[in-house]
Amino acid sequence: MQNSAFFHFLTLLLFKQRSKHIGAVLISVIIIFLLSSVLFISSSLQYSLMDTLEGEADFSVSRIQAGKAVNTPVEWMEKIMEINGISGLTSRVYGRYFFAPRERSFLIVGVDLFDEQNSRQMQKLAERLDLKAFLSEESMLVGEGVKKFLEKHYYKSYFTFKTPQGRFKKVKIVQMLPSQANLVANDIIIMPIDLAREIFGISEDEVTNITFNVPNDAEWDNIVAKLHLLFYDVRVVEKREIKKAYENLYNYKGGLFLILYLVTIVTFILILYQRYSMVYSTERKEIGILRAVGWSIREILKLKFYENLIIVLVSFLLGVVFAYLYVFIWDAPLLSRIFLGGANLSNHVEFVPVVKFGLLGSIFLFYAVPFLAAVLIPAWKIAVTPPKEAML
Amino acid sequence: MVILEKVSKVYNEGTTQAFEALKEIDLHIAGGETVVLSGVSGSGKSTLLSLIAALDKPSSGKIEVGGELISKLPDIHASAYRAKRIGIIFQHFNLLEALNVEENVIVPLINSGLKTEEIRQKAAKSMEMAAISHKASQQVNALSGGEKQRCAIARALVHDPELILCDEPTANLDRANSLKFIEILRSLHHMGKTVVVATHDPLFEGLPFVDRVIHMEDGRIVEPAGAAPSADLTEES
Amino acid sequence: MNEILLSNEVIVYLLAETVLYLLLFIAFLVTLGLLKRWNFDAFTSEQFQLENRSYLVMTIILFVMLLKILLLPYFVYTIDRLSDLVPGAMCAAGVIKANAYGNPLLSLKIVILFLSGLWLSINRLDLGAKNYPYMKLKSWFFIVVFLFLSAEFILDILYFTHIETTNPVSCCSVIFGQTGGANGLPLGLDIPKLLILFYLLFALVVLTLLSDLLLLSLPATLFFAVIAYYAVVYFFGTYIYELPTHQCPFCMLQDHYYYVGYLLWGLLLFGVFFAIDAAVMQKIFKQPAETLKRNALLLLSLFVLLCSAYVAGYYFKNGVLL
Repeated sequence: MQNSAFFHFLTLLLFKQRSKHIGAVLISVIIIFLLSSVLFISSSLQYSLMDTLEGEADFSVSRIQAGKAVNTPVEWMEKIMEINGISGLTSRVYGRYFFAPRERSFLIVGVDLFDEQNSRQMQKLAERLDLKAFLSEESMLVGEGVKKFLEKHYYKSYFTFKTPQGRFKKVKIVQMLPSQANLVANDIIIMPIDLAREIFGISEDEVTNITFNVPNDAEWDNIVAKLHLLFYDVRVVEKREIKKAYENLYNYKGGLFLILYLVTIVTFILILYQRYSMVYSTERKEIGILRAVGWSIREILKLKFYENLIIVLVSFLLGVVFAYLYVFIWDAPLLSRIFLGGANLSNHVEFVPVVKFGLLGSIFLFYAVPFLAAVLIPAWKIAVTPPKEAML
Repeated sequence: MVILEKVSKVYNEGTTQAFEALKEIDLHIAGGETVVLSGVSGSGKSTLLSLIAALDKPSSGKIEVGGELISKLPDIHASAYRAKRIGIIFQHFNLLEALNVEENVIVPLINSGLKTEEIRQKAAKSMEMAAISHKASQQVNALSGGEKQRCAIARALVHDPELILCDEPTANLDRANSLKFIEILRSLHHMGKTVVVATHDPLFEGLPFVDRVIHMEDGRIVEPAGAAPSADLTEES
Repeated sequence: MNEILLSNEVIVYLLAETVLYLLLFIAFLVTLGLLKRWNFDAFTSEQFQLENRSYLVMTIILFVMLLKILLLPYFVYTIDRLSDLVPGAMCAAGVIKANAYGNPLLSLKIVILFLSGLWLSINRLDLGAKNYPYMKLKSWFFIVVFLFLSAEFILDILYFTHIETTNPVSCCSVIFGQTGGANGLPLGLDIPKLLILFYLLFALVVLTLLSDLLLLSLPATLFFAVIAYYAVVYFFGTYIYELPTHQCPFCMLQDHYYYVGYLLWGLLLFGVFFAIDAAVMQKIFKQPAETLKRNALLLLSLFVLLCSAYVAGYYFKNGVLL
């Protein structure tokens, strides 16, 4: 379409004038890098969470008293089993165990390893476990954050829990959960369900909650209604609500960042406009020469447009590539802390590379539109300088 | 070839600093003529040249070059006119300092639609004519004054224009280079090009290949050299 | 509402639209000045300045139009992503219908793109002449388009601020499909008649373009565009989704159909635009429009080919039609 002589000239000019544009490119790359990193982390986390969530049960039911969740009677399971359309009914025992001196907590999840697991994660773990060794003495699996924490407190191969009855329970640390699961598993301990019961002092006729699946999604609203009819003090948590809540959360957090960026971009535009408006006499002279020798305003505008487009594309590519390396190869030191929150146990997550085309498009539009708009008027101003004036 | 009728140019019109640079100029230049516009600075010769080059528009009057009315062309056409039909050589050379000689020479051809190979060939021919081929890849800011002027000549000739305009071309050259320049003008004349030189350099006096010398003073032509021999009017292309 | 406005895509989209509108507003002001003062025969420096200013206007319009061509699919993409937040919506169709502004907004966007394209065509013509013969026409035309653009901007804001995340909306199967009980086809057509009309009109468009009967090609093209829309939604689309009851113009823009929707609708829109442009140029401005005609023919043919290919592909794979 275009003359290759034109592009040759363009690249020549850009190369020879690179110091002029270095400032804009640098700031652009930094802005894009930060923005992309944030969005990459956010969408990667979202993906991982959603992925984990998918493997969870559709419904989880617990009992509430005075608005707070309390232990759920096991006999509820029989009543729930009678509802049509339910599959995979299991119960779970879990809770938070506080490590008093440091006020940190672990999430203890009790599982019945012989039962069908409603959670895909659990299923995967159960398959890999050496059951005999696990059950020969009281053992547990711990997440990476837990392991590190315990080691810091000199608990290398076991830990002693204190039960509500005041007794001590020594439990062996058999295996660490894979670090790919750190997003959800960091502060988790998995142990046999009866052991968990002991540690929390939950009696045999109680569980923490009951979960099941309902394959036919048209039935979901029905099931909720039935549950409420069966028990007056029930709380039903649906997976679809959690999904939506997570979506909202990530939207919200991401949105806040974007507002921040809005402020940055506005400042950036003002700077750009200012800078490119400062018509350096050399550039004016050069354009004047081009015009004198027969370049039309249109052709100069074309030159300026491509010049700026190349700057935009190069900055964008550099920014995005650096962000990709930073987040997915180096696991985003520093920035990840903001997202993961080290409030409880410090976490170290390997981000799953999730880069959607639409995300890149959003970043590109967010950056390119204000940038090109800001330089449009300065470019025009320079293109229309009367050739005579520019040469004097 | 070049016809000016009642051409005036006023700068800053309507203000108190209004300045009449040209006052009702009538001028005919035939094709193939070499014409010298002489006069002191401020006499209007540079202004006249820039009007003929369509670098500026007159305040009134009509300018026709090669049968084409150029006095009020829209930008696209004015630029096309400059890019195809005329070559301009400036007093201060007006080269792109960041590029080398060859790159400067091809500038008028970049948007012409020609292939890179063709452009290269034309540039080579033009640089040879201007005797600057040996410095083709030399950065322009490392050239001497005379070499820069020759580079400017090569650029002005690269697209084979019919009309060559020179504005004080020897003002920044020493005597030796000025003489070289005049030599090149002579060969251009022999090639049949129309050449108009605005200068107050005495070296241009009495040159044999110059057909006419037009004196300008205070925005007017003072020597009776307005009308070309009538026969030429019909010969113009 | 807040979640909508805070979603990344909406922020990016609204930012882009705002920036573009600001530029357009500047162009609008300059155009007003041009209309008042333009006098090509004057030799004043003001007139020369006006010519320079006209370059600003055309640069802005070109820039904005190019970006709006990008923003249209991005708009649809934004809405598609919002379908996760709006209850009941499975694709963009539901979100568009979330309030009364959606459909007018989308249609307006397409109209604006067409008008801008025409403006640029006229501009190119104007620049080629030696005395800017169409300056006044161009300027008034832009004023009109600017009104449309202002309406679009207002609708943008109204639309996004009025999407409820609490009221469920219908999904495309209800809006477009027979499950809602309504037969969506106009004029009481049924599928076979629709298809015949589709291919016939396409042939008509090709003929009128090839034989230069451009006055006829204009209504033919527009009619074809309408019929093509229905044909894609109610017939060809079902072969993309491989489900006879899935009738939706938006779902094909999603990734699990390989985003083919963008290609399909893009071919149709561009093809129709070039045909209209060719007709306008040749009939009204008396300019030869060979490239435009060629492009129109090429794009529309590819469009029809693509649609038919899905049907043919399905038939070859499965031996039966849906």
